[in-house]
Amino acid sequence: MKMFSKLNNFFSSVKLAIFLFIAIAAIAMIGTFINQGNTINQYKKIFGPAAYHILYRLGFLNIYDSWYFIGLAALLIVNLVFASANIFPQTLKAVFGPFPSFKETLDKKTPKGVFETLESKKTAEEIKKNLNLKFGKPFVKKQGDNGGSTELYYSKNSVFRFSPFIAHLSVIIIIVGVLLNFKYGFRSYTNIKVGEKTNVSYLLKNQKPVKLPFVIRLDKYQTKYYPDRIPKAYISTISIIKNHVTVLTKNMEVNHPVTYDGITIYQASYGHYKPTKVIVRILSLNLKNPAYRKYINAAIGKSYPAGVGGISFSFIPYKHPKKGRLPFYLNIIKNDKKNAVKKVRFHILPDKNLKEPMIFAKYKHMVFLYTGIAQVKTYYYSGMEISKNKYVSLVWIGCIILIVSMFFAFFFNQAQTWVRLTEAEGGKKTIIEIISVPKKKFESFYKRFNKNIADIKKELGG
Amino acid sequence: MTPNVSVLDGSLYFTISLIFVALSFMGYLVFLFIGNKAISKISFGFLITSFIIQTFAFIIRWIYAYKIGIDTPPLVDLYDSLVFFAYVIIFGFILLRIFYDFDALGFIITFVALLALVFASFSPMAVSAIEPTIPALQSYWLLYHIIALFLSYGAFAASFGLGILYLIKSGKESKPALTQPAQNGGGQQIKIKKQSKFLSLLPPPKIIEEAIYKVIVFGVVFLTAGIAIGAAWADSAWGGYWSWDPKETWSLITWLTYMLFIHARLTKGWGGKKMAWIAVIGFAVVIFCYLGVDLIIPGLHSYATPGSNPIL
Repeated sequence: MKMFSKLNNFFSSVKLAIFLFIAIAAIAMIGTFINQGNTINQYKKIFGPAAYHILYRLGFLNIYDSWYFIGLAALLIVNLVFASANIFPQTLKAVFGPFPSFKETLDKKTPKGVFETLESKKTAEEIKKNLNLKFGKPFVKKQGDNGGSTELYYSKNSVFRFSPFIAHLSVIIIIVGVLLNFKYGFRSYTNIKVGEKTNVSYLLKNQKPVKLPFVIRLDKYQTKYYPDRIPKAYISTISIIKNHVTVLTKNMEVNHPVTYDGITIYQASYGHYKPTKVIVRILSLNLKNPAYRKYINAAIGKSYPAGVGGISFSFIPYKHPKKGRLPFYLNIIKNDKKNAVKKVRFHILPDKNLKEPMIFAKYKHMVFLYTGIAQVKTYYYSGMEISKNKYVSLVWIGCIILIVSMFFAFFFNQAQTWVRLTEAEGGKKTIIEIISVPKKKFESFYKRFNKNIADIKKELGG
Repeated sequence: MTPNVSVLDGSLYFTISLIFVALSFMGYLVFLFIGNKAISKISFGFLITSFIIQTFAFIIRWIYAYKIGIDTPPLVDLYDSLVFFAYVIIFGFILLRIFYDFDALGFIITFVALLALVFASFSPMAVSAIEPTIPALQSYWLLYHIIALFLSYGAFAASFGLGILYLIKSGKESKPALTQPAQNGGGQQIKIKKQSKFLSLLPPPKIIEEAIYKVIVFGVVFLTAGIAIGAAWADSAWGGYWSWDPKETWSLITWLTYMLFIHARLTKGWGGKKMAWIAVIGFAVVIFCYLGVDLIIPGLHSYATPGSNPIL
């Protein structure tokens, strides 16, 4: 029993809380100065291999998942639970009683309390009326149990004594919500090319694949710009497919995620895979040399001799590739004239009989024909963050309660006042003894108390 | 003749308000040494004038942003953030000045506001041109997030000023040994044989102490709300309410610092110099969270500075 009370004192102590505040803040600080979640090679580059090993051993590279950070957080939770469990009975007693008697309060000599003695020729009943005007309704009356004196107990703002308890409770609610999300939720990431679909996403923390209960298809991707080409919106049109049936098609934007089946999909990034290689077939339409053909495996940006007509050519990517057009153009260089450069645009002929459209460019007697579409086309993809935060509402409820209860806890000051009225000189005089104890030691409380006393003195006539 | 852009977007008026804040600061500084009430009143007048000009400038700037096709309020880049910071702390001081007789606080508050405005107007990092808002910031949460946090920053700035006043006052007063045992809580003022003009202008330490507490808890309520709103926003924009982004982490550190203050104050009865120091240190943490994190550690919250890449 003694052991338990010692443990209880330790785990519910404010000292422990203050230690934890400082320790958690200090560790969090380290985490902001050392970039978290880089790759090993990046760290070795930044710090050098020796320092890297020390930092790794200390857990500084993934500090928010380190055992000691989680340990401190767990200790804070224990501290919170114990503290709340201890605050509750105290609060109940402060609000509903039983309240200590005048004498008990006087003997306690709380440093926060103020004590005042007055005298009046009025009777106890009349004085009570005067006091009630100042302090409100008395909570408890104890009539004459010790030598003809009357005791009054006043309490102001006592109901707000619950707010610190509620505030601590709300933090527990927030933490429970966070833990449930941690256990049953996930945060993952996937890239989908336009026109393709997937039901696999990769966890942010360890890149392990997660199978989603539905398939996501990216139908369209679009970036909208302000007039000066600053991006205004990134819009993906996605479809949710469940059991081969499209159940939902929606536009998804930053700040406007799509939620289905408790899983939320966010627009996180975008990009395109640029073509790196072009497979080109050159056909000559020149009647003198009708059979000329050549296959070239051309890299973007490099120049190649066409082998006919005395020209070289290269593929140059457009700075801003347009939709429905190839992301690069053909650049023809005449070998004999250095600067004669001609840009030739590619044409795309959709052909219903062919699987792939025919893509060609024509220059004089030559036709440049594409094959190997896969390497040619620019694929836009949309990076999506996919997360399951089923218990996030608990976090929000906790936050709202916390803010409201903080307001009441901080700005309302409970004041308890004990009054003892004792008859003296055979009922000619009444001695009034007043003790007032605030919950928070505020100068304004004592000012108000002094003013109340002065007022009462005036009303009682000296 | 078409008017200059600085007139259209309101930035000229912020620069004009800077002059009034500077005048007010000088007035309060003179007041410290002379103690003439009239001077403090004139300084307060300058400050009110600058506040009115700034209010006007904000309205113009918002309308202008709307006209050039930006739907979100112009509060997101470093310039706007700094002028808004100055605006909020001036507003806070005006409120404090109405409730308490805190003229002596004027020189600290106007100094902080002046620094923010000078930084905004003259630093090459802060540009007054209104940039279109990047997609991540196009949200209704933005306005509430920023207002809640700036109210708290303003309150913490005021607590910093009060903390310094307390330290000056108690530092000077602890020397003469006429301290009475204040067993009945308060009421008795500590008598000082010889007191400088400046010190006599300050309210008694106990009143400053209470004001520090009240201003800080006001800040803490709004800081908590601001963090919660930010988390809700992050949840709807990025897929998680918390991602240990440096600014998020520093806001947590700030929150913990003030939680320490509140617990020590309310349960351990800490007061006086210790609390004044925490108010001063707390504001240093706030400033680091507000500006230091952006300037030193890049993250999701970095203010748009010229030449930086917008984040999705």
